[in-house]
Amino acid sequence: MAALLEAEAVSFTYPDGTRALQKVTLSIPEGKKIAVLGPNGAGKSTLFLHFNGILRPREGRIYFAGARISYSHNALQQLRQQVGIVFQDPDSMLFAASVRQEISFGPLNLGLSKEEALARVEAAMAATGINDLRDKPTHFLSYGQKKRVAIASVLAMEPRVIIFDEPTAYLDPRSTREVMALLETISRKGTTIILSTHDVDIAYSWADYIYVLAAGQVIGAGTPAEIFSDAPLLEAADLARPWLLDVYEDLKNKGWLPLEAPVPKSRDELLALIPYRCRSQLAI
Amino acid sequence: MFNIDQYAYSNRLTQVHPGEKIAFALATLLIALVAPQPALPAIIVALMAGAAIGAAGIPARFYLQLFLIPFSFLIAGVAMIALTITNQPLAGLKGLTLLGWTLGVTPASLHLAGKIFFKSLGAVSCLYFLSLTTPMVDIMTVLKKLRVPALLVDLISLTYRFIFVLMATVNDIYTAQAARLGYASLRTSYHSLGQLVANLFIKTHRRSQELFTALTARGYEEELQVLDVPKPFSWPFLFLAAGLDLVLLSLMFIFRRWTLWPPF
Repeated sequence: MAALLEAEAVSFTYPDGTRALQKVTLSIPEGKKIAVLGPNGAGKSTLFLHFNGILRPREGRIYFAGARISYSHNALQQLRQQVGIVFQDPDSMLFAASVRQEISFGPLNLGLSKEEALARVEAAMAATGINDLRDKPTHFLSYGQKKRVAIASVLAMEPRVIIFDEPTAYLDPRSTREVMALLETISRKGTTIILSTHDVDIAYSWADYIYVLAAGQVIGAGTPAEIFSDAPLLEAADLARPWLLDVYEDLKNKGWLPLEAPVPKSRDELLALIPYRCRSQLAI
Repeated sequence: MFNIDQYAYSNRLTQVHPGEKIAFALATLLIALVAPQPALPAIIVALMAGAAIGAAGIPARFYLQLFLIPFSFLIAGVAMIALTITNQPLAGLKGLTLLGWTLGVTPASLHLAGKIFFKSLGAVSCLYFLSLTTPMVDIMTVLKKLRVPALLVDLISLTYRFIFVLMATVNDIYTAQAARLGYASLRTSYHSLGQLVANLFIKTHRRSQELFTALTARGYEEELQVLDVPKPFSWPFLFLAAGLDLVLLSLMFIFRRWTLWPPF
């Protein structure tokens, strides 16, 4: 699979001297679900701002679709159409007085006609399930609703890759499920998704590939199974193991699961693995 | 102010084209200001109250409460205009005289005070009608149609949005301080309030930078372009509004000489 976004030995230091990224090299394959894990301050958000051309690396290079990013005005506008970012705090994204206007901002910046922009807005509202909020002022919305509007506002630009910076932070369990389901739908349509999170359970079940960042460096990369079986790596990145793997291994060690049982990807897969013990008793 | 905003989005006249409401409010405002008779603004106060309470469905209690704010300022201001302190004999001066100085009112000063009182109330009622029935989004749409510079409209739009963000931030900081007894005594209250204000500036600055980053990520260049909300013209409202303003205008011309109020 060809890499859509690549970072090559990228280093970045903020004006106040914080070394946010140090020789970060990673690549994002097209059409995949990539999770970026790491503690607060690991440099995840800084890295994302590089992918969108908002920050410029001090050293190193960023490639989009095989070509090195150019920082000319026109090239940046094109890049930002292809790489969308849903920021963690929806309040920092929403500026317009009504939901429909908010979502129309991106499409109109792409130079689309009013009719095309309206069609994009309608489609994005339908995809995120916020049709009934269209004329609501943004300051009347709940946090979960704002999050959806923020996602719709990026979706309406139809980017090839969408970056979600901690999309489930501060959300209640139901909204978390809904946002993750929405991400699944977006991904199935072929959009590449990058997501940063602290939630190892979500990362484990959801991602195709995981990068682990700590103190501005990539300290691990691999499939979820590889990452979460690497105990020293998890320790170094202050990450817990997904409960799914803990339970799976414990069941295996205590003989409840056959040794050749496959590693489950989700809660349902794990439950399906656990055999019935006294079927006759249950069937009373 | 938050209630005003909520009613603006939820009243019965929300679907009326904003241009019509603005035209009606401004035309009536103009009549209230130019009419020489104090009776006309008084009629306008009643008319706008009818439009806001009767037509738009704003609760009468809330509407009257809203008038308490300008009312208290007006009473204080108008009283100063009505009262005269003088040691000269003035036509029709009535009041208390002490050591040759008189504190009192003259028919002319009463007339002036009455005129200002009703003109101000009339003007306020026109603006209240507009702000209670027309959401800010709609007003900005009209401003754009009127070719107001984009920079100005963007500024209004951002200011409007950030009033709410700012209020939410103030609320959060205040709650966090109060929960730790920051407002337990007068001394700590002053201290906490100072920190709140200082913090608010820092937080607001950070927010504005975050917003700029997020806008840039969505391709912001120099204008905040958004889709306008299309609203149909409603002829009944237009005719009714034009009719009412015509009646007011003709009253103004018919009773040209009826300019004294109160009539003593």
